[in-house]
Amino acid sequence: MTVCLAQPGTPVLEVLGLRARYGHIQALKGADLKVGKGELVAVLGPNGAGKSTLLRAIMGLTQNEGEVRFMGTRLPRRDPVGAAAKGVVLVPEGRGIFGPMTVLENLELGAYRVRDKAEMQRRFARVFDLFPRIKERLAQVAGSMSGGEQQMVAVGRAMMSEPKVLLLDEPSLGLAPRVTGEILETLGRLAAEGLPVILVEQKAPLALKLACRAYLLSLGRIVATIDPREVKSHDELAQYYFA
Amino acid sequence: MDNFGLVIQSLISGVSIGCVYGLIGIGFCVIYNASGIVNFAQGAFVMLGGMVTYVLLEHYHLPYVLAAVLAIAFVALVGALLERLVVRPLWKRNAAMFVMILATLAAQIVIERLTYLAVDDQPKTLPVFLDLPPIMIGGVAISYQSLWIMAGSLLIVAALGLFFKRTRLGKAMRACSINAEAAALQGIPVSALLTGAFAISAILGALAGILVTPTQYTAFNMGVPFAISGFIAAIIGGFGRPFGAFLGGITLGLVQAVAILSFGAGFKNVAALSILLVFLFIRPSGILGSSR
Repeated sequence: MTVCLAQPGTPVLEVLGLRARYGHIQALKGADLKVGKGELVAVLGPNGAGKSTLLRAIMGLTQNEGEVRFMGTRLPRRDPVGAAAKGVVLVPEGRGIFGPMTVLENLELGAYRVRDKAEMQRRFARVFDLFPRIKERLAQVAGSMSGGEQQMVAVGRAMMSEPKVLLLDEPSLGLAPRVTGEILETLGRLAAEGLPVILVEQKAPLALKLACRAYLLSLGRIVATIDPREVKSHDELAQYYFA
Repeated sequence: MDNFGLVIQSLISGVSIGCVYGLIGIGFCVIYNASGIVNFAQGAFVMLGGMVTYVLLEHYHLPYVLAAVLAIAFVALVGALLERLVVRPLWKRNAAMFVMILATLAAQIVIERLTYLAVDDQPKTLPVFLDLPPIMIGGVAISYQSLWIMAGSLLIVAALGLFFKRTRLGKAMRACSINAEAAALQGIPVSALLTGAFAISAILGALAGILVTPTQYTAFNMGVPFAISGFIAAIIGGFGRPFGAFLGGITLGLVQAVAILSFGAGFKNVAALSILLVFLFIRPSGILGSSR
């Protein structure tokens, strides 16, 4: 199922010539990409290509140059809190869940800015609908759950904030194939319902099944934009990796 | 009074001063958990709590409770300013942790000397909260002030526990101490909460100072000895574990009481540093195990 419903118009999130440095190391040398309503786009590339850096730079977690436009206006640099408050939400690499806290507390913190009780309940219901398994585990300490369940909590926590665009950094990392499938399917469903999603993945075939567009990142640059429907075989994809 | 009564009485006063050390130790933990900084200006909060209450009470003749509340508010403000004016500028420049810790020590000295200039160098004391003769149980005399200290400290610790466990703000602060970056990604205003942690820590210090001053005295340079005791309490409790710091404080108070009773008052500091060494040698992670 490819998720590709975008209507022409301003993209929800647009990245223009984004570069990022860690100290003296230029990890991202220039990236342009965009994602619109109802689109799931994938960012693919080998280890160390700068995929995580790209997402971190979008959030303002790195020193960066270039532009990130959200709904047509520029996001301020180095303000991850502000970006998250506006609705640009990242599920970071390694999930970043609050391990010693309960699942319930993790989810509540995702909706930190919501004070209204009824609204909070509505969001909980929505997350339980996406990940029914979470509901039975609310009192459990999040760090004691399996990797797949932790990833569900991480995505669920992000959904508690009702993001306007969702960024995911390798949600499949270290997970069993079945759980990965389950989570990616949920992401596809979210995108089909209109949520713009940027999915960074090492496992290209999985991501290509869902993506409407894939950006190929290599050595800190986007070297190709791929239409997954035109990728016929793994060999063809491998060419991109090694080109 | 028989010997047994004296022992019990000493132990009770040990527990009550230990509660004060515990509160100061919790102050260390709150800031450490939020930022990784060991705040050596913690003693200044304790001294200011007692001193500002004294000034409002004796010079401005405010009612005791009002003077105490205003003093706590003032010290909270000092704590917040310490974070904004001393810690944050260094933080923004990616200063080494060591530099920030030294900066808090410098702030301690500045606050101490400003207090000296503003007041004087004479020891001051506050009246006890209730001027009644000690309660006699058997042959044991228990002063009302030590009851105030113990009850007050327990109440403060319980309130703090509830704050971190139940409130939205408290949970967000815990989240920041677990993973500040992940907290920021949830839209939690991490930097404002850091200021809040300094303010909470300052409030704890001020409360400790107000509770303890009636049993002793305060002066511009009384902060450091209290900070050292609180620091020891935090270490033997397990650094970064607020409840551990409270237990550590009580342990420290008891050990000091026994030492004074057995060897004389000169052994108070020897006992404090000895128990610290014992913990560092045998159980460096403290009673509850350190948080990081």
